[in-house]
Amino acid sequence: MSEGSMEPGGAPIRVVIVDDHQIFRTGLRAELGDELEVVGEAADVDEAVECISASAPDVVLLDVHLPGGSGGGGAEVLQRVAQRVQAESRSDPPHLAPAHPGQVSAVHGTRFLALSVSDAADDVVSVIRAGARGYLTKAASGAEVTAAVVRVHGGDAVFSPRLAGFVLDAFGTGLGETAARDDELDRLSAREQEVMRMIARGYAYKEVAAELFLSIKTVETHVSNVLRKLQLSNRHELTAWALQRRLL
Amino acid sequence: MDRPKLARSRDDRVIAGVCAGLAEHLGLPVMPVRIGMLGLVLLGGFGGLLYLWLWGTVPRAGETEGIVPLRRALTQPSGTHENTGVDAASAPGAAPAAHRPPAGAAEAAVPVAPALPVVPEEAAGAPPDAPHDSGSEAPRRRWPIAELLLGACLLITGLGLVLERLGVLLQLELLLPALAVLVGVGLTWWQIAERDRPDRNQLPRVLGALALVAVGVLMFFVTSREPSVWTVIAAAIAVLAGVALAIAPWVLRINRELIAERAARAREAERAHIAAHLHDSVLQTLALIQQRSEPGSEIARIARGQERELREWLFRGADGGSAPAREAVDAELRVHAQALEADYAVRFEIVAVGVGSGLLAPDPIVAAAREAMLNAARHAGGDVTVYLEATRDRIAIDVTDRGPGLDPDALPEGRMGVRESILGRMERAGGRATIVPGPGGSGTSVRLALPLDAGEDTEEDGR
Repeated sequence: MSEGSMEPGGAPIRVVIVDDHQIFRTGLRAELGDELEVVGEAADVDEAVECISASAPDVVLLDVHLPGGSGGGGAEVLQRVAQRVQAESRSDPPHLAPAHPGQVSAVHGTRFLALSVSDAADDVVSVIRAGARGYLTKAASGAEVTAAVVRVHGGDAVFSPRLAGFVLDAFGTGLGETAARDDELDRLSAREQEVMRMIARGYAYKEVAAELFLSIKTVETHVSNVLRKLQLSNRHELTAWALQRRLL
Repeated sequence: MDRPKLARSRDDRVIAGVCAGLAEHLGLPVMPVRIGMLGLVLLGGFGGLLYLWLWGTVPRAGETEGIVPLRRALTQPSGTHENTGVDAASAPGAAPAAHRPPAGAAEAAVPVAPALPVVPEEAAGAPPDAPHDSGSEAPRRRWPIAELLLGACLLITGLGLVLERLGVLLQLELLLPALAVLVGVGLTWWQIAERDRPDRNQLPRVLGALALVAVGVLMFFVTSREPSVWTVIAAAIAVLAGVALAIAPWVLRINRELIAERAARAREAERAHIAAHLHDSVLQTLALIQQRSEPGSEIARIARGQERELREWLFRGADGGSAPAREAVDAELRVHAQALEADYAVRFEIVAVGVGSGLLAPDPIVAAAREAMLNAARHAGGDVTVYLEATRDRIAIDVTDRGPGLDPDALPEGRMGVRESILGRMERAGGRATIVPGPGGSGTSVRLALPLDAGEDTEEDGR
């Protein structure tokens, strides 16, 4: 996933890095490309919520494991930011209008990209369900992170091969389940499965598009749909993870 | 002589199925046993005690082996019939020789409790932990010392009760010492004969305790007629001591288990603490090193290997158990990837779908995948993705690299690796192997697929 050339090269994308390790933040900051401008850093949940509310960045690079808050880590940051945004925009008490996954980006304009050293499925799924638009492992290079940020900023989802694997697993691809209609939330359509499979094989979107004879835009649409399903589906495997993390 | 083990019957029962179980064990019809038991009950309530005791100690039919140590003695497939006490005295002489091999087998099966240094007694003291196989128990043949001793005790006790009821003046001065001597001799024999028995501390203790209890009860009955302060005190002490003796092993074991559990919990907490710390600091640093170093460089490789190792350790710690079974296909590929990463400048990403908890794949596809991974490591390097997808009737493994590419038609004859180990092997196994260009037209994607026959293959359907 090293292409980001089709994105507009105008104003830099404003980025906040949330990670509890100074050394990692510094390292990442130095590695990020020129398209990005780091406008803030935060080391724990409370700091992150403050920082994001104050600077209203375009993209937040969010560590999954964070100290502080009530122990919810990155997912808690997402929820609290969403609640705050809702409270501001509707001046409703947050408990009357519970945060809906995926509304973070819709209201505030801030999108989240999860970064983690963890491979654990529940870590990944919890932040995605809380509203993150993508997931990368921390071993990703600066160029990869930059490309992912650009993609997330453009409204697309970023799936690492591993996340694609999780998705295929969680949606029962191994059991041969295929959605009959595209809007079915609990299963993937045949096309979406194909796209996920290619991503799990390590193909970039452009390469997936070439391989499946689709346009890049179509691939991106499929990926976004999968992300939406991942966030909204009530499939048992996903709700179990979500329940464990008290996301529902 | 394979006599059914003494077990409380589930279906045929009046109260707890003791009589039916006993009858089955002894090979007698149920009715006489019930009547006999009833008769014993009428004889001063002794049958009631016996019944309660059997109820408490004999496991129910079909139940896993009970906890009560005596059960072992009682359920031995006995080599002799019910005998008198005279035979009991002569019997144990043959016991040591007959008993040695099975005891060795029992000890071999002992080391189950994982973390603690296990003394043999401990495993025998905790039958729930030690899944002692009924298979090794079946061929064990020894003299039924416990039955004989117990029988003698009961016989004497019953006799005493009967005589006492019949108004015969009991010669306690004779009877009690005789009983004590009998029990004492039995215990000594027991100790000598069962020296290498893992639970040698348990049975004699319990037997002695029961004998003492019996003596105490007897003395109570006796003293009701000739009350004397000393007999009452002695009886009370005997009963108390007997109960204490009987309970002691259980108390000790419970205490031991408690200590072990507490220690295990402390270890787990410690481990979780360390894991959290390592996760936060070391993994991050390793990730950073990989990020900042040249892709494929020595440093990146070392960091990658260390990260993988650490991750595996942490993962194992989180489960609190052992590592996933090595035979599981994804685990096997991961191990292989780790080994290759140590030798080549390559980074494997392994994505497994539909594997559930430990899918066992047929050998040919695993071997072919390993070969493909080796090829990718050797000729391509860089990032290599291994995608494993298992469905009910099919398993597929794709190895995709971004190397210089490989034309399957232009393979030199010498490339045995690809031609034989991958293509040929998959064909022979009834599967399919195709080599296509990798992502973006560069590199190579080796796609292996093998149909699974539901009948023969070990498909562990997790859901």
